[in-house]
Amino acid sequence: MALFITKRLLMALATVLVVAVLAFLLVHAMPGSPGAVSLGAGASQEAIDAVNQRMGWNDPLFAQFCTWLGSAIQGDLGISLIDGRSVSADLASRLPVTASLAAGATILSAVLGIGLGVTAAVRGGALDQAIGGFVGLLVALPAFWVGVLFVYLFAVQSSIFPATGYVPFEVSPQDWALSLALPVITLAVGGAAFIARQTRASMLEALQQEHIRTLRATATPTWKILYVHALRYASLPIVAGIALQFIGLFGGSVIAEQLFAMPGLGQAVQTSVSTHDAPAVQGVVVIATVVVVAVNLVLELATKFLDPKLRAS
Amino acid sequence: MIPSMAPAPADQAETTTAAAAPARNAGRAAITKLSGHRLFASPGAVAGLVWLAALVTASVTAPLWLPFKTEDQDFTAVLSGPTAAHWLGTDELGRDILSRIFAAAAGTLGTSMLTVIVGVGLGTILAMLAAGAGGRAEGVISRVTEVMMSLPGTVIILAVIGAVGTNIPVVMAILGILMSAGIYRVILGQAKSLQSQLYVDAAKVDGASPLRISLRHVLPGLANTIVVQAALIFAVGMLIQAGLAFIGFGPPIPQPSWGGMIQGASQHVYDAPWMMVPTGAVLALTVLSANAIGNALGKAPNAAAPHLPSTAARRQRAKAVAAIAAAPVHVTKDGAPDGETAVGTLSVRNLSVGVDSPGAGNGVRLVTDVSLDVEQGTVLGLVGESGCGKTMTALSLLGLLPSGVSVTGGQILWNGRNLAATTDKDMEAVRGREIALISQEPMRALDPMFTVGYQLTATIRRLRGMGKGEARKEALSLLEKVGIVDAAQILKTYPHQISGGMAQRVAIALALSGNPKLLVADEPTTALDVTVQAEILSLLRALVKDTGMSVVMVTHDLGVVADICDQVAVMYAGQVVENGRTAAILDSPRHPYTLALLAADPHANHADSMPERLATISGQVPQPKDWPAGCRFAARCQFAGSACLEPVPLLPSGAGEGLVRCVKADQLAVEGMDWLATDVPASRLLEITPKQTLLTEKDMA
Amino acid sequence: MSTAVTQLPGPAPATTVPMLEVKDLVVRYGRGRRAATAPAAVDGVSFSIAPGETVGLVGESGSGKSTIGKAILGLQKVSGGTISYQGWEITSATATQRRDLGAELRAVFQDPNSSLNPRNTIGTSLAEPLRLRGIAAAEARVKAEDMLERVGLPREAVDRYPSQFSGGQRQRISVARALICDPWLVVCDEAVSALDLSTQAQVLNLLADLRDERGLSYLFIAHDIAVVQFLAQRVVVLYRGQVMESGPAAAVTENPQHPFTQALVAASPVPRPAEQAVRREARESLGVRTGAAAVPAPGGCPFRLRCPLATELCATERPALRRIGAADVACHYA
Repeated sequence: MALFITKRLLMALATVLVVAVLAFLLVHAMPGSPGAVSLGAGASQEAIDAVNQRMGWNDPLFAQFCTWLGSAIQGDLGISLIDGRSVSADLASRLPVTASLAAGATILSAVLGIGLGVTAAVRGGALDQAIGGFVGLLVALPAFWVGVLFVYLFAVQSSIFPATGYVPFEVSPQDWALSLALPVITLAVGGAAFIARQTRASMLEALQQEHIRTLRATATPTWKILYVHALRYASLPIVAGIALQFIGLFGGSVIAEQLFAMPGLGQAVQTSVSTHDAPAVQGVVVIATVVVVAVNLVLELATKFLDPKLRAS
Repeated sequence: MIPSMAPAPADQAETTTAAAAPARNAGRAAITKLSGHRLFASPGAVAGLVWLAALVTASVTAPLWLPFKTEDQDFTAVLSGPTAAHWLGTDELGRDILSRIFAAAAGTLGTSMLTVIVGVGLGTILAMLAAGAGGRAEGVISRVTEVMMSLPGTVIILAVIGAVGTNIPVVMAILGILMSAGIYRVILGQAKSLQSQLYVDAAKVDGASPLRISLRHVLPGLANTIVVQAALIFAVGMLIQAGLAFIGFGPPIPQPSWGGMIQGASQHVYDAPWMMVPTGAVLALTVLSANAIGNALGKAPNAAAPHLPSTAARRQRAKAVAAIAAAPVHVTKDGAPDGETAVGTLSVRNLSVGVDSPGAGNGVRLVTDVSLDVEQGTVLGLVGESGCGKTMTALSLLGLLPSGVSVTGGQILWNGRNLAATTDKDMEAVRGREIALISQEPMRALDPMFTVGYQLTATIRRLRGMGKGEARKEALSLLEKVGIVDAAQILKTYPHQISGGMAQRVAIALALSGNPKLLVADEPTTALDVTVQAEILSLLRALVKDTGMSVVMVTHDLGVVADICDQVAVMYAGQVVENGRTAAILDSPRHPYTLALLAADPHANHADSMPERLATISGQVPQPKDWPAGCRFAARCQFAGSACLEPVPLLPSGAGEGLVRCVKADQLAVEGMDWLATDVPASRLLEITPKQTLLTEKDMA
Repeated sequence: MSTAVTQLPGPAPATTVPMLEVKDLVVRYGRGRRAATAPAAVDGVSFSIAPGETVGLVGESGSGKSTIGKAILGLQKVSGGTISYQGWEITSATATQRRDLGAELRAVFQDPNSSLNPRNTIGTSLAEPLRLRGIAAAEARVKAEDMLERVGLPREAVDRYPSQFSGGQRQRISVARALICDPWLVVCDEAVSALDLSTQAQVLNLLADLRDERGLSYLFIAHDIAVVQFLAQRVVVLYRGQVMESGPAAAVTENPQHPFTQALVAASPVPRPAEQAVRREARESLGVRTGAAAVPAPGGCPFRLRCPLATELCATERPALRRIGAADVACHYA
């Protein structure tokens, strides 16, 4: 087990490093040098060159990457070309927004998805078909469209939730929750549908296992067969599915943040890509990767822990 | 939201069994061969195909019929709803929404297809390479794809857009690369299972090259999964593309895109909410269509029945039970009168089991008119070849028939109670406490997620109402009783950590935990090595002697019958064809089928007297739907005559209390005929019948 | 006979060269360091098959019998020892060499459901080995039809799919596929284990008939000693990858010398209740311990933990095969 964790940790580190290199190369392929981007359209060539020189733009790529990596390890991701602010500080203030969004949406979609999936598998018949149809529809609906619909229903028609904006938790927990509600629900719709399908399929597979018959033959109550034994058997692929959802939702928050004007990482990617702000793009890619890889690692370890075959060895 | 980079699971993933048991009407093209009929059997998928075809046609021919150009602005109708001039309304610049939707369609579909081609193509090639090479190469490819799957794909795609601009084809191709990891994972499993098929080994023995094997034996088997994945990825690609356009990374202005149009509409959700509807609906319908096609193709053709039926199926079953309970008891002359039987005695009377039919009529019969008696402390063998209904008969004793199969008539009398007419709820008082089950594969009969100790103590506590400590002591003593030496150690293990023989001992201990009076053993030694089989049989014999319980032993092995059974019932095609004392039946069989089985068994001969040829039975056990009205064995019987075309009752066999279902039994006994070891002419050997079209015992057990 | 043999020494019946000779075969699973330390699945197995002879390989699960078959067929990497076919060493034959060999050394596998590609017609499956050897499609089809007829199926079966046949019929088709190239040696790996009694007998008869007709050699791998006894002239008994006893079929099955062979033979039940009762008594008095006993440490006799005769010697020294009566037995005390 310790060996397994070590291996996974090394894998995670390698992943982050590979992404850092890729991001670095991508950023370098962006149109416009740092000088041109930061000084804007009217700047003279000399001024641009001076900025580029100061930022090491003309150094060999490898040297630039090492410099960047060196400061990144110390928590310094450089400064934004557009507003001159520290990228690290900016992202640090944005991370909680996206993290709350993604975590909230993952939890909500897990709860809804497992509920729907288990119900469909266990109840069968017409209810199963109805849930199947509903889930199929949810999968097909674009989240941004659903988001706009929610804004129309809950913010325009009735003002239950604020349409846009984010209130930090420190300012007002209640408003924080309210401001998160619509984006989280928007994101959770597709995620819940995905997890519902995964859950239904895993539950049905679990119920096809022969040990279920042994349990019935020893008069195990139905609820216990379903919710202790079958769900336990089905839990491995379900948790793996939730991990995948988190990855998807973390990236998916780009749209929710745009739609609901949330100052999160997604918004940062979107603006920095539009403005060719190289250090910001690179910083956000790396930070997003670190978060996703870390959470994925934890969830994967959880999945493995659920499997006695692996735990025992 | 941008959907996850991982491919959505289809309703039911294509399984190995699906690969091994393909459709019957196999035809020309790979897709038709595998699943065309599944596609056309699903109304959703047909509708989806129609919609996609219509959309593509309309989009490609758009310039010919569209009433407006995409940039035509109608200032008389800005932000209008549907009108005669603008069927789907207009946007904030008065542009016709219908025209813009269809003008954008071709590009959206085409670039999404690019994702499909890159993603599915790369994923498939990698999976086939990994499955073919195995070992280190597979390890490396799998590690790389794991890394790819744990990346925040959307953020990376945005970084790519930063570098290459909103060049949609390039972006969608890179998206395909990112998604290929998930596709690889799905396809790898199947490619590996195809690579492990014996026909691949056979081709290797032929000397076929790895490339030839991949192309001829693996790729065709993957065709269906590939199409399923393609449909699902197509849908995801469309959603992601629209999502990108929504946040401003769509095709360059003024080119219309669905995501961009929804973005535009979202700006006017306050004053013109209608604008959201048409584009959203078209996008959703298109995604829905692709998903419907993928799900229809991906549906496993005959998934195994669950061992715990769904609530809906249980309701169905309860109705069947009520019908049995209400039915007048019909007892034939070979059955005992209804009602009182001695305690600990099982009497099955005229039991019939059939497949539930959706309509009012009767479904296919799997077991007909079976009567059995098991006295306390005796072992009854149910013997026959696969498909003869012996497992169904055994499972009906516990009310554990698989979903879709139920008792259709007769009685199962146990301690004066008719179990065939007992509800599932009431059966819980019988199962484990009075009648217990052990099955063929002990490893699969135990829950892999819990320790032996947990499974055993939980069962003991439930069935005997004991406390935790007491139950643990009882568990230890049960394990010792079934011959496990280091019981305390075994309690701590998981099922996968013990051998098959050990697992069967644990399964027997589990079955004994409620002190049952009757043990139903379904081929309990078939999966075990022969030396272990001997040990388990000895154990069962000792348990019968010590506890006085009775056993119904399902087996196909006449040697096992000779070893442990007091009584035996030989089953053929859902009927008992001969029953009586084991010694009487095995030493002087009366039914030609029993005679033939013994003659075909190499175990019946000594090495010095081993015949040059074994006796055989021509043809095969008929499918339940093909059972004739007369003797079901007649078509394969060496002695069959015209009298065998009439239904044959079970008749006293002359010797002792045995019964035999053969009109010629007496004649054969008098003439002392042997089942001869000659092959019948080839023309009689082949009765090509579509296999496994209906629920047969094998599928369900 | 064979169609495209380029490097083979040619047919060699009636010579002293054995059809197949396996010498000190060792197979370990896994790769790298793990393989070096893992217990061997096949541990120093030697036997040979004379032209026209059928040798039965018997053992329980984990005995390595199927692994040996796979190694001979080139489906399993060999860690040590040699395999020679008609005097030609094929232990690590290249793919091209295997292709030449593929017409003469063939296989029938266990599971009739998976040994034919469900997507190909019977004709395509049967013709594949011929087509690989450059035989024209039309000729291959005629050969396939002839072969189907020989195994008791109608010629029309060429255009049908495997799913249209029962298990026994499919196994006949597998036999036809193995024999279509006129091989010398056929490896039958549990070829009848998945079949019901009556169809099992059909396939066993067919294999016996074809052998007598064509002078084939079989390596017949099975867990059921009675089935082996029907077909084989000689039997090799394996336990945990090692040969316990080998010799003429009648001697090994009727008068086994090795304690394991005794246990194996005694445990196989016969369908005659009175006789079986006697055999059961005899088996229980053998004193062989349960098969679930712990895995023995490497070295010494692999059967020692279950063996009633075992002493300390059995834990330290691996018994060599020695001649007792007609059979070779690997036991210090037999």
